[in-house]
Amino acid sequence: MNRPNRGSSSSGSGGGANESFRRRSDLPPHKRNNEADNNNNNKGADVAFIVGTCSSMCPERERITRERLRDLSVFERLYGSPTKSSTDLAVKKFCRTLSAADVQASDVRPLPVLEKTLRYLLSLLDSREHPFEVVHDFIFDRTRSIRQDLSIQNLANERVIYLYEQIVKFHVISRQRLQGCSGTSISSMHHLNMEQLAKTLTTLYNIYDANRKPDHIYENEAEFRSLYVLLHLNTSSGVMGEPLSLWFRKLTSNLIKSKEMCFVRNLLRSYRNGNYKNFLRTTASEATYLQYCISEPYIREMRSFAVECINNVCYKLQPYPLLRLSQNLMMKELDVESLCHECGLEIRTDSDGCIVLPTKQTSFCSPKEGFKNYDLIGIEIERLL
Amino acid sequence: MAYVSMGEAHRRITEYLNRFCDAVSDQDSLTLCRLLSFSSNSPPLLSLADALNVFQDASSLIGKSDKFSEYGEILAHLFRSLQSYRVGNLVEAYLAFDKFANAFVQEFRNWESAWALEALYVVCYEIRILAEKADKELTSNGKSPEKLKAAGSLLMKVFGVLAGKGPKRVGALYVTCQLFKTYFKLGTVNLCRSVIRSIETARIFDFEEFPTRDKVTYMYYTGRLEVFNENFPAADTKLSYALQYCDPKKERNIRMILKYLIPVKLSIGIIPKDELLQKYNLHEYINIVQALRKGDLRLLRHALQEHEDRFLRSGVYLVLEKLELQVYQRLMKKIYIIQKLSDPARAHQLKLEVIAKALRWLEIDMDLDEVECIMTILIYKNLVKGYLAHKSKVVVLSKQDPFPKLNGKPVGS
Repeated sequence: MNRPNRGSSSSGSGGGANESFRRRSDLPPHKRNNEADNNNNNKGADVAFIVGTCSSMCPERERITRERLRDLSVFERLYGSPTKSSTDLAVKKFCRTLSAADVQASDVRPLPVLEKTLRYLLSLLDSREHPFEVVHDFIFDRTRSIRQDLSIQNLANERVIYLYEQIVKFHVISRQRLQGCSGTSISSMHHLNMEQLAKTLTTLYNIYDANRKPDHIYENEAEFRSLYVLLHLNTSSGVMGEPLSLWFRKLTSNLIKSKEMCFVRNLLRSYRNGNYKNFLRTTASEATYLQYCISEPYIREMRSFAVECINNVCYKLQPYPLLRLSQNLMMKELDVESLCHECGLEIRTDSDGCIVLPTKQTSFCSPKEGFKNYDLIGIEIERLL
Repeated sequence: MAYVSMGEAHRRITEYLNRFCDAVSDQDSLTLCRLLSFSSNSPPLLSLADALNVFQDASSLIGKSDKFSEYGEILAHLFRSLQSYRVGNLVEAYLAFDKFANAFVQEFRNWESAWALEALYVVCYEIRILAEKADKELTSNGKSPEKLKAAGSLLMKVFGVLAGKGPKRVGALYVTCQLFKTYFKLGTVNLCRSVIRSIETARIFDFEEFPTRDKVTYMYYTGRLEVFNENFPAADTKLSYALQYCDPKKERNIRMILKYLIPVKLSIGIIPKDELLQKYNLHEYINIVQALRKGDLRLLRHALQEHEDRFLRSGVYLVLEKLELQVYQRLMKKIYIIQKLSDPARAHQLKLEVIAKALRWLEIDMDLDEVECIMTILIYKNLVKGYLAHKSKVVVLSKQDPFPKLNGKPVGS
């Protein structure tokens, strides 16, 4: 996940170019003005934003307090001690009750420190020492605090874009990995994760817009924009509110024509028409890892829709072979068996020894949320990683 | 600017002040409208603006007479706004107009009857138009446009004044429509919701009692919102209402309604006549309609591509894209009809191979698995009646009504 920083544009030293961001974030993209102009005419927004001076991942004051209160995450304990941490381990916690007025510069981390902190946090993502939900819980909270520091200082330049992209990535990957976890609090974790994913994406889009130069798309922008479409394939599950037909109106045409957007629009069309065949094939051949993570629930949905259709429309005297179903749904035959059971359908072995799905069964029911995901055969793992 | 002497300027300003105050005391709404209508750029208003710019100190004139000073605050802001407007300083004009509007609304609130409703409409209209112009000025100076948003808050305030009980309620719908225009322009259509709720749940006022003009506009905008939410039966009802009551002479308005009503009608299986598309210059829909008539999937895709930008901007793209299944239905029907001509006894058997071939003619390459998938969906969504015999790769059509019509309902409902 690490990548060298692109040292372009001003570092987030607080004032100047960045202070215009907040105000501009509400505007439609094409109305945006460029940075230079904004510096001069900034009547209503002469709020001085704080410039952080904290040089470690966690302000010393906070670290000492939390050591005393035994409020250390497992990742923060020095040699496992519940009362001792270090500057290499402690990471500033998210704290809701901050009002901008009583924030001290020494409690806020400047951009280079935030970059370092995020790199450190994401390096924990692959740690196998702890269950994923524990890792997730820690990174979830600490990245939230990073975003808070960014917004307190009103940082919004290209390096900040990269940070937000990385945080989005974390939430997207979490969405997928949390599915594989068990535990009583997983569903609420999943919910909170989606909530923060939506918030982070919204901010990211606002920063893209605020930094918009004519006919320019940021390196990863099309892919990150495409996630919005994937999160809204189903009109009724609007994660972030605005219906897609409204959302599309605001996109610039080079975004609309980008490869990533064409791909998700193709998925959208297949999803809405019910074309499970094209949906699964296109996902397998074109989805990036992030797109795949978001698509997983829809893959499941399309498959059970396919089973429902086949069960519904096939000639009763011709049970449908599971082998064909597995080819069409791009899944292992054993997984198809399990899917059919989830759908409340019986399967049996016919006189030739083939496993088949007798059709026109009346017992079909849509599988419940949160059922396990089956592999999508044919998806290139290298592309995903 | 023509030369205006001090005396002439004095005369024009006094005349305006007199007319304004007389209009208020006579409750002459029509005159008041004319006196406030900036965007009309009427000669009397322009010459008053010139006079104000010569005279400069109009407030001393207002202060001199009790008759004028009763409306001193209203008039002073109004004059300042007009002055800025005349010299093309639109942001200043907006700011002063906003103050004027607030003072005017305050006064309006105190008037018991609704006599000045038309004048209030003019104020609402002007503030929105002026805000849009001011935003243009801001944008071209590299500043952030924010006046239209501010105008939205003011309009909301006016809405609050009208929405209660009493004779002024009849004006609430006009302001609602101005709010819709503002929110649509700003891209904050979710803000429409609370206003709609207030209009539609009020038991104290029957919707039908609002003026027709406002009802048409209201139905147009709420119909569009239903399109965005893909609630087609509701969109159909609202937009059809707008079309039915829209002034037939207002061709541009009819065209605007049809731009949304046509995709809605198409999606519930109702196809417009070509003449209608021609008459209202809706050429972008001609090929889409053709595609539906002929079952030509390629034509549908081409038409969507050709007008992609326009359809995406107006928000109907996704609606039109969904017509694909209906185009498939039409194609199957065509194959069926052709088979019927050559071999009536077996016409009701559609071979997947034949369908794939037909698609190849349309330059759409699809393997048999995907053809099977499409047919499964068509049967499942009741666009085709019959069953799939997967072993023989044949769809067997029902003898009765194999291609059911949508009958005004969306596909799959």
